[in-house]
Amino acid sequence: MKKHPMLKYMKETGPQGDRMPMIMCPGCGSGQVLNAILHAVDRLIQEDGARKENFVFITGVGCSARLTSHYLNFDSGWTIHGRTLAIATGALLANPELRIIVITGDGDTGAIGGNHFIHVCRRNLDLTIVCINNGLYGMTGGQVAPTTETGISTTTTPYGNTEESFDLCRLAEAAGAPFVARWTTAHPHQTIRTLTKGIRKKGTAFIEILSQCPVHKKQSPVQMLKALKQGTARVKPGEPPVEGKIPIGEFCNLDKPEWIQSYQKVLDQFSNHRTPVEV
Amino acid sequence: MNTRNLLEPGVYYLQGAQACLEGAITAGCRVYGGYPITPATEIMEHAALRLPQVGGRFIQMEDEIASACVLLGSSWAGEKAMTATSSPGFSLMQEAISYGIMSETPMVIVDVQRPGPGQGYITTSQEDVMQARWGHHGEGSAIAIAPASVQEMYDFTIEAFNLSERWRSPVLIMCEENVAHMRERLIVPPLDTITVINRKKPQDLGIPPETYLPWGHDVVAPMANWGEGYNINYIGLVHLEDGNITKYDLAMHDRCVRRLHDKIEGNVDAIAKLETKFVETCKHLIVCYGSVSRTAIEAVVEARQVRGIDIGFLRLKTLWPFPEEQLRRILPPVDTVFVPEMNLGMMKHPIAEALRDRCRKIVPIPCLASLHTPEYILAKIDEEIR
Amino acid sequence: MNRLHINPKYCKGCLICVDVCPKKALKPAEKINAKGYILPEEDDMSRCTGCGLCEVMCPDFAIAIETEDQQER
Repeated sequence: MKKHPMLKYMKETGPQGDRMPMIMCPGCGSGQVLNAILHAVDRLIQEDGARKENFVFITGVGCSARLTSHYLNFDSGWTIHGRTLAIATGALLANPELRIIVITGDGDTGAIGGNHFIHVCRRNLDLTIVCINNGLYGMTGGQVAPTTETGISTTTTPYGNTEESFDLCRLAEAAGAPFVARWTTAHPHQTIRTLTKGIRKKGTAFIEILSQCPVHKKQSPVQMLKALKQGTARVKPGEPPVEGKIPIGEFCNLDKPEWIQSYQKVLDQFSNHRTPVEV
Repeated sequence: MNTRNLLEPGVYYLQGAQACLEGAITAGCRVYGGYPITPATEIMEHAALRLPQVGGRFIQMEDEIASACVLLGSSWAGEKAMTATSSPGFSLMQEAISYGIMSETPMVIVDVQRPGPGQGYITTSQEDVMQARWGHHGEGSAIAIAPASVQEMYDFTIEAFNLSERWRSPVLIMCEENVAHMRERLIVPPLDTITVINRKKPQDLGIPPETYLPWGHDVVAPMANWGEGYNINYIGLVHLEDGNITKYDLAMHDRCVRRLHDKIEGNVDAIAKLETKFVETCKHLIVCYGSVSRTAIEAVVEARQVRGIDIGFLRLKTLWPFPEEQLRRILPPVDTVFVPEMNLGMMKHPIAEALRDRCRKIVPIPCLASLHTPEYILAKIDEEIR
Repeated sequence: MNRLHINPKYCKGCLICVDVCPKKALKPAEKINAKGYILPEEDDMSRCTGCGLCEVMCPDFAIAIETEDQQER
């Protein structure tokens, strides 16, 4: 039987082979995002000659985080809720050759990880953040998230959400990320293209993927994908959003000094300098 | 050992904070992520200056949580890393320490203790010594050591890195504000006489990725770095030696957590260090740690030579794992055990557990927010014994 | 004719592939399988152009299309 082409990057057998089938609910968008990421990584390996050993996947906690729970035949880390970006910062400072892909959720990025999120964008560290945004906390049972729209009923907003929600892409742009984009799980080819660009980009690439949670939203995945397609409209950089539709597309792609490159100037200049401490 | 731009052998006059960082880079620390907090900031500022000079990288992070997490990522990517904080920041780092224990990550955290609770004050204290053992959630221990001088800030920091690499464990340097701020002589020996231990790697043992068990092969598993093709998945959940988390049952959970516990607590004799004087046949005893041991020894010498009190001295250089068996092995039964601490009585608890049945009375000598003077300790000894 | 491969061990019957196929080459099975899922199956694979949209949309890596070229090799 022919296998799915991306299974070559996943662990199916061996000590961790019992991880398949994937733990996600049927029709969950997370698996689609992983599918797209692996397609992008495959392109980089085939086209750019990128070394597979250099890729590292880091996740936090939540449904998005499960994607590293032994499915991947890469170096990875299933780490602390919200702190993936701080951990990624440490790894990059230790080995700038690593190509770090951080997979997070809307809660992991926008709530508990918010502080680290804005600082990584500000610092412009060379890594890729893929934020799977399903508008709620899935793993813990469907609570409200900073990205839940006003009025929506969740287990912690049973009377309807009274708060405004974050636009994580605008937050990333305002914080200084040079490459910011948003697609949905209903836009696989665009997602793969943008992910490839984002991972190639020298600097912080923030790519938000609106994704379906069929279980907590109590709709079929097919229905939700249709809604994602119809509820969004592509905009080019600088264009205003279309009325009533969530803007999707690549919002910015700037050239800015990247953190390791900037710090290298310090290393080049001062690594032969010795602070006098003799007495 | 790459000795480029390290402190060369000689005599220096340095602040404890500076000596600590110099020890770290001598031990091979090349990544530092920190956050300002009094009274630990000087360590970070010295790191900002010196890391580039030795080819390392420094970053000031947005909070203490991020600083501790930098250590995890850096260690997994193959570079020794350190951060320094004070008590409120130490509280913030506990989750990362807990994760470091479960993932068996070598990392070094300096806690320059100040009084609490809350913001407390910015003078000296020993109020975090229990937190060092029990502050992280869950079972498992980190190693905690207590330097008392500028020389020890250099030496103990090198030892901390060696312990963290040898045992694949977070190591906490439980310093005090006065030790970090004092200026004293530091003697740097010839660098080739300094032992620097690096983690064992599967490559060194001829173990290929296909048969590598990230948490197996030995009591302390060899550790591959990210980027070397070993496809390691670092996790915080209870796991089997190969990293599997699915085959869960209570027996596996018990085995996993006990293994972590026993790795440190079961190797106390190899890990814990202490120092004794006059204990062969003493009638009373002082047990102390950190900078208090410097005034305690003064008090002991004065008590013995001038006041005729037969009192011995035991200094814990390692706080955790607590060397209960060692204490019982080397100490004779005594009348009174004095425990001077810059808190209201914390290490007195494991000390009492160890010695309660071999002494008549245990007398804490608390002193908050400042270092005991020898007179202060002697007054208490006099009060009790006479 | 392109050949459809569904891995019944991995597939969770979300039927996204059936919906997304531009040529409607797939259809849901009539009976649920032992796990309680309705798996996709061929409706008419002569309609399949090998566009790969089903592969790229599958959340479970459970589907593969074997093109005629690949069959000949």
